[in-house]
Formats: sequence, structure tokens, C-alpha cells
Amino acid sequence: MKIFTILLLTCLGILVLAPVAHSEGIAVQADKVHTVSPSGTIENGVVLIRDGKIEKVGTAGDIEIPEGYETLKASRVTPGLIDAHSVVGVSGIYNVDADRDHNEDTGPNQASLRVIDGFNPTEPLLDYLLRFGVTCIQTGPGKNNPIAGQMAIFKTSGNTMNSSLVKSPSALLINLGESPKSTYGGRNKSPSTRMGTAAVIRQAFIEAQIYQEKLEKYEEKKEDKEGKEKNPPDRDLNKETLMKALNQEIPVVLNADREDDILTGLRIAVEFNLDLILDGASEGYLTADRINEAGAPVFVHPTMQRIEGLETYNTSLENAALLSQEGIPIAIQSGYESYVPKTHLILFEAAIAMVHGLGFDKALEAITLSPAKILKVDDRVGSIEAGKDADLVLFSGDPFEYTTHVEAVLVNGEVVYRLP
Amino acid sequence: MNRILPLLHFLPFFFATPAFAQTDSTPILFVGATVYTIAGEVIEDGAFLVRDGKFEVVGNRSEVEIPNGAQVIDVSGKTIMPGIVDTHSHLGVYGKPSVAANSDGNEMTGPMQSFVRATDSIWPGDPGFRIARAGGITTINIMPGSGNAMGGQTAYVKNRGNTVEDMLIRGDEDFRYGMKMANGENPKRIYGKRNETPSTRMGIAGLQRNRFLKAREYMKKWERYEKNLEKDPDSEKPERDLDLEPVVEILEGKRPVHFHTHRADDIMTAMRLADEFGFRLILHHVTEAYKVVDEIAKRKVPCSLILLESPGGKHEAVNLTFENGGLLEKAGVKTCFHSDDPIIDSRFLMRCAALAVREGMSESEALKALTINAAEMVDLEDRIGSIEPGKDADFILLSGHPFSVYTRVLQTYIEGEKVFDISDPEYRIYATGGFGVEDRYPALEVEK
Repeated sequence: MKIFTILLLTCLGILVLAPVAHSEGIAVQADKVHTVSPSGTIENGVVLIRDGKIEKVGTAGDIEIPEGYETLKASRVTPGLIDAHSVVGVSGIYNVDADRDHNEDTGPNQASLRVIDGFNPTEPLLDYLLRFGVTCIQTGPGKNNPIAGQMAIFKTSGNTMNSSLVKSPSALLINLGESPKSTYGGRNKSPSTRMGTAAVIRQAFIEAQIYQEKLEKYEEKKEDKEGKEKNPPDRDLNKETLMKALNQEIPVVLNADREDDILTGLRIAVEFNLDLILDGASEGYLTADRINEAGAPVFVHPTMQRIEGLETYNTSLENAALLSQEGIPIAIQSGYESYVPKTHLILFEAAIAMVHGLGFDKALEAITLSPAKILKVDDRVGSIEAGKDADLVLFSGDPFEYTTHVEAVLVNGEVVYRLP
Repeated sequence: MNRILPLLHFLPFFFATPAFAQTDSTPILFVGATVYTIAGEVIEDGAFLVRDGKFEVVGNRSEVEIPNGAQVIDVSGKTIMPGIVDTHSHLGVYGKPSVAANSDGNEMTGPMQSFVRATDSIWPGDPGFRIARAGGITTINIMPGSGNAMGGQTAYVKNRGNTVEDMLIRGDEDFRYGMKMANGENPKRIYGKRNETPSTRMGIAGLQRNRFLKAREYMKKWERYEKNLEKDPDSEKPERDLDLEPVVEILEGKRPVHFHTHRADDIMTAMRLADEFGFRLILHHVTEAYKVVDEIAKRKVPCSLILLESPGGKHEAVNLTFENGGLLEKAGVKTCFHSDDPIIDSRFLMRCAALAVREGMSESEALKALTINAAEMVDLEDRIGSIEPGKDADFILLSGHPFSVYTRVLQTYIEGEKVFDISDPEYRIYATGGFGVEDRYPALEVEK
């Protein structure tokens, strides 16, 4: 499987890029290597790459570039950027029925849905993200359903779902606030209110608990009094997924913007002992202490999200900084756009958060190591450290400056983008 | 739908804020900044005098004398440039929060709405205006939406004041605002869905041609009447037609057309109409302008660009590229940038120009695009768009280079009056957001 992946990526690399002589490995040299690891920023640094992984990281003085390595030079190097929550791959660039696969809004509980079954690895926006250094995204269903389905983490290069996949399911997505109630309320169906949305979610979890009890009872005793084999409970994919959330096998990404929606989310998470990641949280800064108490990390909305509807009326460019200063782990997401532009770019969103109190180091962390840690894929991605996937972004200058270019992007040790 | 309550949040502030106070006659001298006058070279250690809302003297500190009684403001180390002119915005007609109650930009009861005026929809209490001041925007062309083939009359305003009358720049018989027109996906989507005309691109152009032809006849009818009047004072007066009057003004060259268009063939259709009827055309959005750049250059049609961070969301915006600005510049086409607020938040309009510079536009042209070029597209180049003696003292104070992400707008002035100051919490909350919960808004540790 893994060999297949590497083979495939290699083929893709050869197809896409001008053919280069086969090299043993790659050495990336930069004035500054922002490792986002305990090594911090290494001046005049070198990153050695071999077999798709980072082999060594250090200063040019400490590291000798082995013979046969191709050398790439840049002003700055960062880890591949990780978008904590995107809808790219299921919500297409054309935004027509033919490429819209993110909202299965035929019923409010869609826990069984897996985004891997709707993910289009050849979606043009994936290539677009790659050109701005985004190498990894957690993508998922849209905002219309209270229980929206299972999210997954993908690399942005690769031409089949499997060759791109990092982790599935990575989380269960739950939505509160305006979207679910307007989706179903408009049809005079439940939920049409916030209390309706919460009730639909609680009902589903309680039914999953009952189902789990049934399963456990069956597992305890598979035969009846007469020694005949019992039938197992019927399989129920919705409940099986919700059980995973109840057992904290997968986290719950819970989208809520208004302060009271955030608190409703915390209330539900406590009731069912969920491994909660708050999502959006436009008014998070108003209730940072409660979020921190609950131990929930936050996938902060795109910094420059528009004020849409009422729940985002109090959006602040300082939200990421205000949550972070409270000690809450944060990542910055691109979120969902229903119109133009079709997606945000976390590189730009983090830049604006940076100048609104977050600072350079935390802004970079919020789109690299922090989402990797929150999503528990930091063994593979998120920082420039030996042993991790060689996902790197080469910049012509300060990564966050408007006029800086992304000069090259590496995914799994392959150069998948070069500035023309 | 009870959506009154959130609106009340900022009403007290709205009324508590003094309308732009009467211009103080004390002249103010700003000294020490790097001044991008746009009219000439960048002046290091510059100085300029503001009196009665106008720039009086502009030059190097050594060249400018301090008049008696002048207040001197030292802005050393800072950057000053003219206030930004946004040629395409929906502030006030799509007010915040964006709920149905505040949606007054598209009169979608028919595709040809030449008789409606943005002026009559503008809500000066829209917090978007204050947000835009935090983005350095001082003059705005407020447009009806693009749901209609002819969306209505636009309004040119200064970004200050509590009534639309305070905001409007002229608008008299000798100075008409623009007419919003649109082609491509939006009008045909809206009316096509209802099985009404237009449901195709040719349907849109057909309606538009028809309106211009009707207006031409109407214009002739009045000309005949004026002529007949000389011979016969009892000549029958034609009935006034509010739909056709503003279109006649377009034909007479008094009123320019601001044309929403994306795809290359739609751009060509807009220019074909202008060729046929000889009207003054400003192309807006122009996602695919780079594909027909020679045609645009040949006709000398100015382009007001939108620069979004990613393509798509609609078919006609799929080929969006940051390179558009640079490619148009190279072909000699006059360009500017617009926010299309709420599509792009007004605070990030400067960033659009910076992103165009990233992909090949020259810095000097990008600065002109934000100021003097945009002023020309709303016929106001004699009053605004550069820092020159005699022009309105609309300018912004920046912490650094206009195109750096680290730069913040510190102050915004309109006709010499300060309308934004980041050091004042009442203004700062519009730079950050959170104005609906001002009393509970927490402080940043780094700024405490």
C-alpha cells in the first residue's frame, strides 16, 4: 500500500514536473528554517530529505550534504501548512450541483457519512491550495446538518483518494447555530430552532448509548437460556459512528459561533463525555474562560470571515490572539464559503491573525504543528523534524508578507509545485 | 423574524457620535511622514498643510513654512497617502448584519431598474461605513447589486455623516452618478429560475439594447418637443419617464455605466453595447480581462478589478488570477481595485492591490489604482485621489509601507476631519470587530 503510494506520487511528480535526474535525496537550504519544533528557527539551515521523510535538520555548518542530493535554496522554509477545517475536495470550484457534495441534507443525522466517499482528489482547488503552501487539509461535510458526518485528513497532492489520505475518520462533525435550523426550518421540519438542533443531537447520542448497551449485552451472552445462538443487534452505521465519539475513539468537531451556541456545545460535550474540538467560535473571545475550563481546543474561523447572518456579527480579527492568550490551543481554518471566493487560504488568514495580536510564531504554529497535534497526526506532519513526512514550503521571504512568493512545495519528499 | 435587537447594539453609539464636526478653520501642518502624493515623487520627511478641508501646501519639510496659528502634528516615521477610493461597494445597501431586513441592494422585481437610486436605499447607520474608515476608505461608489441587467443609479459618497445627504458628493444635474449594469450569470440565474427574461446571456443583452433604443427615441421625442415649442407654445409635452431619463443621460455622456462583467465574452458584449450606443463605460470585476486585454486597451476602457484570494464559487469566476492587474497595466489599461463589500471586507481593499503587486503589477500603478485612477472612474479626479494643493484633504496615516501585511491604518481623514483613529477605543473596535459587544470586549495582553 505504502509502496504503491510512493510509486504513484513519484509517477505524478515525473508527469507534472520537468524531468530531473534521479537524485538520492533532496537538501533544502534556507536563510531561515522555521522548524516549529523545539529547535525553533534555524539560521542558515539545512533540511535533508530521503525516501519521503525528513532525514536531518540543522545548520549548514553542522550538516554535510551527501553526494547525489539535489539542492533547493530558499529564503525561508516552513513545514507544509495544515488547514484544520476545509470543505475543499467535496465542495467544488464551480459551485454547481455537479460538484457540490458536502451537504447530504436529507435528514439531520448523517453520522454514518464518510467524506472519503465524496472526496474528489482532482478538484482544481486542491492544486490551488498547494500553490499557497497548504499540503494537508482536514476536510468534511458542510454546515447544514446537526450531525454532518465523518471528516478525514488528506494531503493536497495525489490523484486518488487513497494516495492522498492521511487519516479517516479524523473527527465527527456536529453543527449548531443558524445553518441546520434554516435548512430544515425552511421545510417545516425538525430542527427549526436552536433547541431543536440540540435535541436532535442529544437524542442521537442517547440512542447510540442504548445501542451500545445492547451490543455489550449481546457480547456478554450470545446464547439464550436454551443454548440457542441469539441474533446480534442489527447493524446501524449512524449509531456505530456515534459510539466511536462516545468512546472518544474520534474527536467531535463542533461548529458554533454565537456565545450561547458555544456554551450549548460545551453542555452537550460534558453530558456525553466527548473529546471536543470547538469550531468557528466567532464569539469565542467572550467566553474564553469557559472554553479553557472545558479543555477544548479551537479551530478558529477564517480570520477574515465575513459578517454573515447574525451569528458572525461579532467576528473579531483578534479572536485567535484572544483565545490563545487564555492558553487555549488554537488552529486556524479556511472554513466554508458558499459563493466567491470559493475558499480562504490559511496562509493569508494566519497573516492577518498574526498582525492582530497573535505574533509570528503562534500564527505559524496555528497552521502547522497545532492542528497536527489537535488532530493527532503530529507523528507525521506539522513540523520540520527528523522522521516526519517531508512536507515543506519554500518561500522567497517572510512567509506572511503579501509580496512573498511560494517558490516550491514538497509533499512526501517530492517537489509537487515550483514557481513557474 | 425578530431581528431588531442586534441592531440596537450600535444605535446608541451611532447617535452619540457627533456628525463630522464643522471643519475647524485652524490650519494643521502634518510633518515628518513619507508622503505618497500620487501626483509626483514620494516625498520623504514631507509636510503638508490642511486648511478648510483642503490641502494647501505640499512638499518637503524644509520647503513648507508654518503659518501663524497653525497646529503642527508630527507624524515622523509614518506613511501618508490619499484616502482610498472604492469604486464598487454595497455598504449601506447591504447593511450589517446581513439579514433580509437590511437587504436593499437588488430590486429584483424586474431585470431593468434604471429608475431606482442607491441613494434611496443607503443606510448611513450601517457599521460597515465605520469598518471601511478603519480600512482607509474615504470615497465610495455605492452600487445596486448585480441581480438585474440594469440595477439602478449608483451614489458617490464621502465616508462620513449621519444622513445620506451628508454623505453624497454633488449629484446635481451637471454631475450624475453612474448606472449599474450587469451581464453574465447573475441576472440570468435570477430570472431564468422564474422562467422570465433574461434566462440567457443573449436575453440580457437584448433587454439592454432595447432599453438604450427606447431611450434614444425618448430623447428624440423631447428634442422634437423643444423644437416645436419654439413654433407652438401649446405643443404636446411628452410624459416624463423615470426609467428612460437616466438612460438618456447615459446617451448624452453625463452618466457613466458601471458594468459588472466577468467572462471574456461578457466583457466583449459590454463593449459591443458601448460601441453601439457610444456611452462611457467602466468595466467592473473583469475576471477574464487578461484574455481580451488588447480589445480593452484599444477602446481605452478603464477596469475596476476585484481580487479575491481564490477562484471559483461561480463558473464565470473560475479563471481568476492575481496577474490580471499586472497584465492590464502592461497593456496600458487604466485599472483600479474595488471591495464589492461585503464580498471583500473594506478593511482589506489595500491588500488587494498588494496581491496584484505580488503578481506583477508595479507598486506605483497599484497605488494610483487605489486613489487617482479610482477617482477618475467616478469623475472626481479634480477633487480627490492625490495629495495636491486645492484638493479635498482626504488622507490616511499608515504605520508603514502601504503594501506590507504588518502595516496598520492608524488614522483616516476626510476633508481635514479625523474620522478614524486606532488609538481611540470607540474607533478601534471597528478595526478589529466586536462592536456589537463593545462593553464586554476583552483587551489583548500585548496591548494592555
